[in-house]
Amino acid sequence: MSDFATADAVITGMGSAVRGLDGPWQLLSALPDGHREAADPVSRLSGRGLRYKDRATKLAMVAARDALRAAALLDEAGDLTVPGESVGVSVSTNYGNADTVCETVRTIAESTYLGTSPMMLPATSSNVVASWVAITHGLRGANLTLCNGPTSGLDAVNWARLLIGSGRVERMLVVGVEPDNPAVRHVTGAAQEGAGEVPELFDGAVALVVESRASAQARGVRPLAVLGPYARRARHADAVSEVRRRAAGTVGLWCVPEHPEGVRAPAAGLGAAAGSAVPVHDLSALYGPASGALGVLQCAAGVVWLEGRSGAVDEVVLASAGTGDAGGDDAGAALLLAGAGGAA
Amino acid sequence: MSWIVTGMGAVASIGGSVEEIFDSLVAGRSGLGPLRGYDRDKFRAQVAYEIDDRPAPGVDEPLRATRWLEQAVAAAAADAGLGDDLSSVPVLVGTTLRELRSVELSWRDGIPFDAADLHFGTMLRRRFGAADTHTVANACSASLYALAMGADLLEAGAADTVVVAGVDTITESTYGLLDRCYPEAPDRVRPFDRARRGMLQGEGAVAVVLRRQADGPGAAARVHARVRGVAVNCDAYHPSAPDAKSIAAAVQEAHRRAGVRPADIDLVMLHGTGTPLNDEAESTALGSVFAGLDVSPYMTAIKSMTGHTAGASGLHSLVAAVDVLRTGTVPPTVYLDDPVEAVAGFRLVRGVAERPAEPMRLAQIDSFGFGGLNAVAVIERAGASDE
Repeated sequence: MSDFATADAVITGMGSAVRGLDGPWQLLSALPDGHREAADPVSRLSGRGLRYKDRATKLAMVAARDALRAAALLDEAGDLTVPGESVGVSVSTNYGNADTVCETVRTIAESTYLGTSPMMLPATSSNVVASWVAITHGLRGANLTLCNGPTSGLDAVNWARLLIGSGRVERMLVVGVEPDNPAVRHVTGAAQEGAGEVPELFDGAVALVVESRASAQARGVRPLAVLGPYARRARHADAVSEVRRRAAGTVGLWCVPEHPEGVRAPAAGLGAAAGSAVPVHDLSALYGPASGALGVLQCAAGVVWLEGRSGAVDEVVLASAGTGDAGGDDAGAALLLAGAGGAA
Repeated sequence: MSWIVTGMGAVASIGGSVEEIFDSLVAGRSGLGPLRGYDRDKFRAQVAYEIDDRPAPGVDEPLRATRWLEQAVAAAAADAGLGDDLSSVPVLVGTTLRELRSVELSWRDGIPFDAADLHFGTMLRRRFGAADTHTVANACSASLYALAMGADLLEAGAADTVVVAGVDTITESTYGLLDRCYPEAPDRVRPFDRARRGMLQGEGAVAVVLRRQADGPGAAARVHARVRGVAVNCDAYHPSAPDAKSIAAAVQEAHRRAGVRPADIDLVMLHGTGTPLNDEAESTALGSVFAGLDVSPYMTAIKSMTGHTAGASGLHSLVAAVDVLRTGTVPPTVYLDDPVEAVAGFRLVRGVAERPAEPMRLAQIDSFGFGGLNAVAVIERAGASDE
């Protein structure tokens, strides 16, 4: 895809729902000791109707609320500060509703359709997360759910930028979410819990507000980072070289894909397209395989890194997901992020 | 900007090609049949609009949706003169249920399934070399949402040609939960009929090849239709019940994007699922949009023959609309014997196909989904602007 509206899309708010992390600003760090005993982030939700929402939806709602608040799109009372029509939603998840689908089909096998609860019907459709996030905050703009494999999170960020660029919305809430549960472990082939050294799957959500620079300026909100070029190619190295060709800057941090050999394998198999000796940030190794959430996690971590380097404006963050030909994924995607005063 | 459709392909219970499907629609042939892949003792409802391609009665297999998508995309690409090489063509696939039926079979019955096939990019890469592929899980408006996204990509200059597709199979989880929700088991899809009992799912896939009108058809032999505008929005109101005001807003935005007035619309391909909630919301919305016209556009609801093909249904309606505009024949809404009061003023085609005396130029296609996702397209008969 082209440089269309590249310079105009900025990130203005972030939120997260990851057990053991207080918020997205900790996304450069490993989980603290004892993180398993930390409070479940979904315990921050209250009110009616939670019983029939799946875990992915609840995780997403926590991260979404924080991101909207951080971007000053919610007021003290929790009401939207801009017209609902001006805000869209772009969710990335590959396994978000696998639990509902699997539990329901087992219930039917054991006790026919009569054993099911009609309240679960919406969650059989893979857009249920985006649906509840929109309903919760009255976000009436374009509403997307990308279930696009390993690249899905970066794809969702790019579609947010495209829909802003095409004028359909002024801003998009982007959410990456994956739950860890037996259905997801079955589908992904991950070992069941307690099976030794296999890392836990990522169980959480991260959210970003993406909007045009003009929109951020008009609202008086400081941009945290600028979205640079994006590409999705058959070869991971081609996606990386494509985005690097289209934007200046030195890669100061590379958020790497999940690796086919397992998340603890080295990233070297992906080639040195990012440049030699680039510091690598492997979010899958830190937090568990994150699938559709990864790309959004990478962008949030990239923002944290860029904010910490506020003086060095020529350095950009490379996020890449999906190994493409190098690892047997259908494609690799790459996206650059620059500081809000930067070049990408 | 306008866009042109240069290739089309489709599969459904009533036919394995665009031509077969349209012939069935005009003839009033329904794809309704007994449930073929499930244990019928587990359900009260006993029928659906399935594609009859399972290995044996009562035996289900994974990856059927992927197979139909491959077939529809191959047909559309060949029709557009693209051959089998989509390595430089973005492919956007709208779907409600992805390959979740394969997940069900894997989880419950231990039938092997590779998680990489849960999104359709894996097949599209293997079969067509396509790498810029996007599985958009936007419920039952997914394929028209994908059409809007494809049109945006072309407008942005991000591609010269885009394949937009839709596909869905039926999952047992959705079928069982729908069965649980309705007071009585639906016997068939009866949009806007007083005897309607609810929606029944259908299976199928559909694909179109889209280009900027200014660039012409490229390698394609002909232009099927012109896409004038596609609007999308979200009710942000209820996870399954639609909102008439939001639907009306989407229709009006589609008209605005297309540069047309309500009186210009000759045909409406209704979403028409046969649920009381949809029928009421859609008829209220259209009643307000087309208020003040002496006669309403012709209207029909093909789900009465295809069943609700979910993520594929919007593009199924669009491809049918292309043939309606081309042939001048409007398929009927079958089993619409006793229309509800709310559609009394609508020129619904019932019983048998109609051939309006005046040529038809502009069609509106409605597509709504869970989560209040609305997508509405306006298309124009090929060559109509030159007349």
